[in-house]
Amino acid sequence: MLRFVLKAVARGLASLGAVGHLLADMVRGLRDVDVWPRLTVVQMRRVGVDSLPIALFIATFTGIVLSLQASYTFTGAVPLYFVGTAVGKSIMLELGPVLTGLALAGRVGANIAAELGTMKVTEQVDALETLAYNPSSYLVAPRVLAATVMFPLVVAVAVAVGVGSGLVAAVNLLELTTVEFVRGLRLFYQFKDVWFGLLKSMSFGFAIALIGCYCGLGVRRGAEEVGRATTRAVVLGAQLILVLDAFWAILLL
Amino acid sequence: MKQRDELVVGVTVFAALFLIVVGAIWLSQADLGQGGSRFTARFRTVGGLGVGDPVVLRGVRVGRVAEIRLGERNYVEAELQVYRDVAIPPRPAIIAASASLFGEWQAGIISLDQAPDDPNVRRALDEAAAEGDDLWPGATLPDIGQLTAQAGRIATDIASVSSRVQQAFDSTAVAQLQESIRDFGRVADQIATFTEQQTNVLRGVGVRLDEGSELLTGAAQSLKSSLARVDSATNQGELARILENTQMASEQVREASRSFNELLGAARENQQSLVRVIQAADSVASRIENRMGTVGLLIGDSTLYVETTLAVQQLRQLLADIQANPRKYFKFSVF
Repeated sequence: MLRFVLKAVARGLASLGAVGHLLADMVRGLRDVDVWPRLTVVQMRRVGVDSLPIALFIATFTGIVLSLQASYTFTGAVPLYFVGTAVGKSIMLELGPVLTGLALAGRVGANIAAELGTMKVTEQVDALETLAYNPSSYLVAPRVLAATVMFPLVVAVAVAVGVGSGLVAAVNLLELTTVEFVRGLRLFYQFKDVWFGLLKSMSFGFAIALIGCYCGLGVRRGAEEVGRATTRAVVLGAQLILVLDAFWAILLL
Repeated sequence: MKQRDELVVGVTVFAALFLIVVGAIWLSQADLGQGGSRFTARFRTVGGLGVGDPVVLRGVRVGRVAEIRLGERNYVEAELQVYRDVAIPPRPAIIAASASLFGEWQAGIISLDQAPDDPNVRRALDEAAAEGDDLWPGATLPDIGQLTAQAGRIATDIASVSSRVQQAFDSTAVAQLQESIRDFGRVADQIATFTEQQTNVLRGVGVRLDEGSELLTGAAQSLKSSLARVDSATNQGELARILENTQMASEQVREASRSFNELLGAARENQQSLVRVIQAADSVASRIENRMGTVGLLIGDSTLYVETTLAVQQLRQLLADIQANPRKYFKFSVF
């Protein structure tokens, strides 16, 4: 048992070191400004824009459920306009970034890990090195940067849609007017609510993309390992999201 | 393909940034472009007032709290951003208070002359105003938490008092109290009975008063009619005749009085004779009472009375016999 724990700790530390090494390579690869900027735009489309439908789908139903659950909780004790407060605060601070991050961990993290793993298995990464391309600047930096930039934007749109769906649900399904909902929404609003959620989602995007790249480039043999790397990227990405969520909450709230 | 990616990404980034900026401004209700003025209020404590809380004038939002900082001499200074074209009342002051039961706070602009009638608030405002600079004086009303805590202390005191009352009211006191209540009930019954009786009496008095009132009404009507007659008589000269008759009657009464006086004088003159007659009668009565004289003996001796009665009877028999046989006793002859 102790040996298993020690092995796990050693494996974790080794992985951490490998991720650090990858990150250092990426930072060094940023010097190739002729390579990564144009590729980053493509990745921004794939990581961000193409992820909008799933993010908005989740946000829409999150807003509806939050609105109904808040009204269910507040009935008889708390004024109903606090539904707006609950929906706004919950989506901006927590549910918007985290649920979107978890969804994108599955979509983006898995995508990156599978793509890079396949490239590794098919020796396309080796071919890039042979052609004097730095894989970090060619493959890692665009994905990580794209995810870091686009995650907050996707989350921002998701938050807006989630609050909007909560408003629509409150107006149509509850005895609440738009004015009351907006009053509750503005009641305890602080600008920190916005930047805190965006900062978190930025860190989520960075972590998911970096883990996806690490897992994908870590593949050595065959399609089976690509699948395992993909699964690992999703699991690690989801775990990292929760850890970072707690980290930012402890640090900033 | 690449240009299309760039376009889509650009549009998405722009839309998301627009959403973030506009949403944040809309939620914070920032007054972009409205400008306005900044004022500083001085508090001992701002309570739950925070940056971004509304500044209201007579209940209408006219700005927001822009900044809160610690000031000199243990004061707290709050920067208030007030919209342009808001008429600030003379001698302005700030009251920080809960806007609802759920933790919302607001800074209300008031005139110092219209400060709440609370000695603590007044003292805080006066103290802040006494600093003598351009800063507005400010005071904080207790929030619902403080009021609840105060209510809790009051409830504790009430519980303590009720506990003492419970100790004071032992079983003896309760029994005495019950007896007192019973006595009070009996007294109340008696009072009710007495009241009922008095009510009947009063009702009778009331009836009599009604009757008296009716009589008075009749008398008043009679008087009224008399007065009317007097009035009419005055008009027809009857009053003069009545007065003459009255004068004549008065003279006759005077004459009668004079006769009566003369009669009284005669009576006074005969008084001594009357006294003597009465004294003689009294003497005779005394002699009779003392069995003196014939009458006295007749009254005092029954034998005489019986003999007398017998003699009277015999006399009656004799008279009857005379009436029946007159020739036996009387003899008439002419010759």
